[in-house]
Amino acid sequence: MKIDLNHDLCVGTGYCEMKAPKYFEIDDDGDNNVLQETVDEADLEQVQAAVSACPTGALRLTD
Amino acid sequence: MTATAQSPVDRSFDPISISTLDFWRAPFDERDKTFAQLRQERPVSWHPNMDFSYIEQSTPGFWAVVGHQDIQDISRNPKVFSSAEGTMLGDTPEFLSLPSSSFLNMDDPRHARLRKLVSVAFTPKRIAQFEVRLAGRATEIVDELIDRGDCDFVQNVARQLPMWSISEFMGVPQGQRHIASHAADLQASGGIDPSLNEGLEPLEAIKKSVGTLRGIGMGLAEQRRWHGEEDLITGLVNAEIDGESLTDSEIGAFCNLLSVAGNDTTRNTISHAMLALTNNPDQRQLLIDDFDRYIDSAVEEFLRWGTAVMTFRRTTTEATEIAGVPIAAGEKVVMFYNSGNRDDAAFTNPHTFDITRDPNPHLSFGGGGAHFCLGTMLARTQLKAIFRELFTRLPKLEVSDPQLMLSTFIHGVNSMPCTLNK
Repeated sequence: MKIDLNHDLCVGTGYCEMKAPKYFEIDDDGDNNVLQETVDEADLEQVQAAVSACPTGALRLTD
Repeated sequence: MTATAQSPVDRSFDPISISTLDFWRAPFDERDKTFAQLRQERPVSWHPNMDFSYIEQSTPGFWAVVGHQDIQDISRNPKVFSSAEGTMLGDTPEFLSLPSSSFLNMDDPRHARLRKLVSVAFTPKRIAQFEVRLAGRATEIVDELIDRGDCDFVQNVARQLPMWSISEFMGVPQGQRHIASHAADLQASGGIDPSLNEGLEPLEAIKKSVGTLRGIGMGLAEQRRWHGEEDLITGLVNAEIDGESLTDSEIGAFCNLLSVAGNDTTRNTISHAMLALTNNPDQRQLLIDDFDRYIDSAVEEFLRWGTAVMTFRRTTTEATEIAGVPIAAGEKVVMFYNSGNRDDAAFTNPHTFDITRDPNPHLSFGGGGAHFCLGTMLARTQLKAIFRELFTRLPKLEVSDPQLMLSTFIHGVNSMPCTLNK
């Protein structure tokens, strides 16, 4: 699975970083950096939690 | 589009009235009986303008949206439901729009660019760095409470941490913090609460409040141009949008927006939570017995229960429909978060205060989308810190007799005595 971040919808709330800090980081400019695009099998649950926590619907998981 | 919207002039108003001062004088639970009926029977309903509107309104009324899902749908569709015509329930005079609201009353792309200038200060990392100092301030507040003894909880506890936190972030100096915090209250009440407006007409009261907060922001901007600090105002002074610096007036608007957003929301959430914990001793005991286990879910329930922000408005940019009800272009659509947070389609036993509630998809930071609250982590950090101090050191603390703010915007508590029961 891969992380698909829609930059137009992202406002940098950081909810994803709280759920899955290995994959997301809001940087000092307030931009969301996806640190690792491909999700490790073992982390799928936390990345899914990050995706569904996003209040602006900016995240999706794709095959 | 499946149906055509009736002309607003021909349309008849809903038989249930939510547009009078008397309705908003009633307590939250009393009002929710009315909202519950609307949720059940007419989740999208047409109402006359408030009988206490400040100025002549541009439309004969507004649509009230009271269901959880509909509020989310509207919040996440800013192209149709715009913020640019104003976000307060009714139309407000010119001086209350851009000069006081900054990016709150804007749509993207400008909204996003201005918002980001502020949101850089509220990232998870920045909040984590701030947490230790914030916890230290929470300790001091409870030290002072213990020294003082029984007193007004709102002034001495609930007001203190939000006022300190937002002031530290923005760079408001000690001597101006109380002035800013009280000015913010006055605005949160829409100037209509006689216990806050010092006998002024509502519009005059708000004008005074906006002037005070803008003045503080513009004064700080002037100082920070000469000598920068590690604070938000310095960041704004140095920021550029499309190669242009922000004007002092724009920074004044930021200061006004952040003062209201930073003071009145968290303060009232703390007050409502303390009241709910007093009135629900089993829930309070559960939290005290295993604070670390329950505090995260408890904070979400504090937010849902208190619903500090009750309303925001959007204006339709085109004909549309909500829950099958046709809405014309240019109409006011008001989201009632207080109602969405008691919607039994989204919450099991919504009228029960349950600190273990999970999931808890409350709308207290908005319904999602571009305007979602940017201070959520700061708010949660404050709520955890103050209740940790209070219940570790004063487990028998109780409050009673809340004096509620008269407002259609903020669910406020003006004062509320506490007893320490040490």
